[in-house]
Amino acid sequence: MSTPNRDAKSTISNFTHYPDDAGYFDEFGGQFVPEILRPALEELQAAFSKLKQDDAFNRTLREELTHYVGRPTPLYFAANLTRHFGRARIYLKREDLAHTGAHKINNTIGQILLARAMGKRRIIAETGAGQHGVATATVAAKYGLECTIYMGEEDMERQYPNVQRMRMLGATVVGVTSGTRTLKDATNEALRDWLTNVDTTHYIIGSVVGPHPFPALVRHFQKIIGEEAREQIQHQAGKLPDYLVACVGGGSNAIGLFYPFLNDDVQMIGVEAGGIGTGPLQHAATLTYGRPGVFHGMRTYLLQTADGQVQLPYSISAGLDYPGVGPEHSLLKKSGRVQYLAVSDAEALDAAFLLTRLEGIIPALESAHALAYLPKLLPHTTEAEIVIVNLSGRGDKDMQTYIQHMEKEQQNK
Amino acid sequence: MSQRLREHIQRTLAGGDKLFSVYITAGFPEKAATLPILQALDAAGVDFVELGIPFSDPIADGPTIQAASTRAIENGTTLPWILEQVAQFRRHSQMPIILMGYLNPVLQYGMERFCRDCQQAGVDGVILPDLPFEEAHALMPFFHAADLDNIYLIAPNTPPARIRLLAEHTTAFLYCTAYTGVTGANRAAEQQTTQFFAALREMVDVPYIIGFGIHSAEQVHRYNAVADGVVVGSAFIRFIQQQPLASIPDAVRTFVKGLTQRKH
Ligand SMILES: Cc1ncc(COP(=O)(O)O)c(C=O)c1O
Repeated sequence: MSTPNRDAKSTISNFTHYPDDAGYFDEFGGQFVPEILRPALEELQAAFSKLKQDDAFNRTLREELTHYVGRPTPLYFAANLTRHFGRARIYLKREDLAHTGAHKINNTIGQILLARAMGKRRIIAETGAGQHGVATATVAAKYGLECTIYMGEEDMERQYPNVQRMRMLGATVVGVTSGTRTLKDATNEALRDWLTNVDTTHYIIGSVVGPHPFPALVRHFQKIIGEEAREQIQHQAGKLPDYLVACVGGGSNAIGLFYPFLNDDVQMIGVEAGGIGTGPLQHAATLTYGRPGVFHGMRTYLLQTADGQVQLPYSISAGLDYPGVGPEHSLLKKSGRVQYLAVSDAEALDAAFLLTRLEGIIPALESAHALAYLPKLLPHTTEAEIVIVNLSGRGDKDMQTYIQHMEKEQQNK
Repeated sequence: MSQRLREHIQRTLAGGDKLFSVYITAGFPEKAATLPILQALDAAGVDFVELGIPFSDPIADGPTIQAASTRAIENGTTLPWILEQVAQFRRHSQMPIILMGYLNPVLQYGMERFCRDCQQAGVDGVILPDLPFEEAHALMPFFHAADLDNIYLIAPNTPPARIRLLAEHTTAFLYCTAYTGVTGANRAAEQQTTQFFAALREMVDVPYIIGFGIHSAEQVHRYNAVADGVVVGSAFIRFIQQQPLASIPDAVRTFVKGLTQRKH
């Protein structure tokens, strides 16, 4: 394990002007979709380009973020955790305190306003951990739109409380039985639904993935995380952070935090799900172990076989269990701007319990992956430095996994 | 462009006939079935075959072709193996073959190498639904160099300007989906879409055929009235998976005859 290399230089001087008009982040991204979806993507691009500059739209969005979502979320100085490691000061961006318990709502509130402006009657979404499904069902309930959520049957089992929440919110939850019965297959089903009902339906994709304009659009609604953090840290510490750490599934909470700092002298680390090993079927660490391919409408890093079949990812965390990754992350990796690495299931579990015991915060298993990098990073830092970790969600949905872990530990004692 | 495919289409249409083609996933239901199925389709008088390259995540396909793809992958079907089957088939037959599949397996094989090896094996064209015009354009030199047709799809929701663009750049023919949706849906030929296809005649100069969800002689008849032919996929897969290997030739002949009285 080495520390991120501050001298890692790339030829790109401005990272914030991607994607280009064709939806490319350099060689990644694009729009690899069947012709049937093209009109919907064009309609979405047109609506997004217009509305993101529209004062009334932005005012409504801001009001919803303040009074409904509960923004700004705190930037919390984790004094006990800082003392535990005895080096750099650790701050947590508390996305777990946003309405519905994760950053996902930043995106769904923005997209439901877009859907409404486009006159769509029906909303669909895929979900892994169920956080995006809950955040989508929530805004659909609030805005009175019909809502169908696709979720792999394996994930329905792992994250059952979220299935119940979605149903209570009035959404139809469709269990997906194809393939691995996880996030990738739920995304396939959502795309098939969209292909079939494209006139009436808007697909609220849950991360910075998929065909253009989704990666740019989701980033637009998630970058508030980094914008707030930038202001908060300058206010609280009088300087920019030295390190940003976030977990990467599709990459939306990470891009949300990173994007407003991309042209600053700040080191960034994206933490992937290392699962139980480095072999095939043992992890979901796309950027760490994958290679470029085309999947879900985008050219991006991908876990795949030599033949180009998509490989089954594995992670203890349903929200990170995805074989692709947002195309912008592929650019940030290839250019060396962001360092990506993987932590194991066991390391993530340890980190979740450490935070819970020291700070009284139960993190989502996804966010625990970001926290699990701290034991590796902190020894290389100084007391003058600042680390911000994106605490992307809270752990209520993971209680079953956490309880099992506690019981196992008890038995081993 | 493939001369074999273009000439076959021209000859058929000039004779006042319609095109009847079949989609089958390679390596399904078992690897040993692919060559016999191709030969049986040829013997049954099918105009050309779309041979599917299986992919793990076929987002434009309904349950039938999804299941066929999964099974074919489990059977060990790979692109090099598919090309071998075509090469073997070509030793005795001139029925045109079009490979149909998703982009990633082709990309990982290498686009230039893929085109070259297709030509060598005797493949006539490709249909890659997730390779849109904007992305395909840069690859056209490879297709041209290998005499390979690249066939574009349109759907009933494709805007007129886009239809004209794709009709201009597609080679051999244009593939129209019968509805907006995934393959194999059980929908009747709707008034609205038949009107859409009839109107295409005025808009495009290339032959166009209709596919997705075609499973009855009645549909074949209605679509043939407004297009240059049809392709049958999911219905053929559902049929063929019940046939023992030995009865494939007879079964395929019966299937084709059942959907079109034209050829025997
Ligand atoms: C709390 C939480 N964090 C992170 C993720 C991973 O998604 P992304 O990488 O898009 O932030 C999820 C996905 O479900 C999540 O629920």
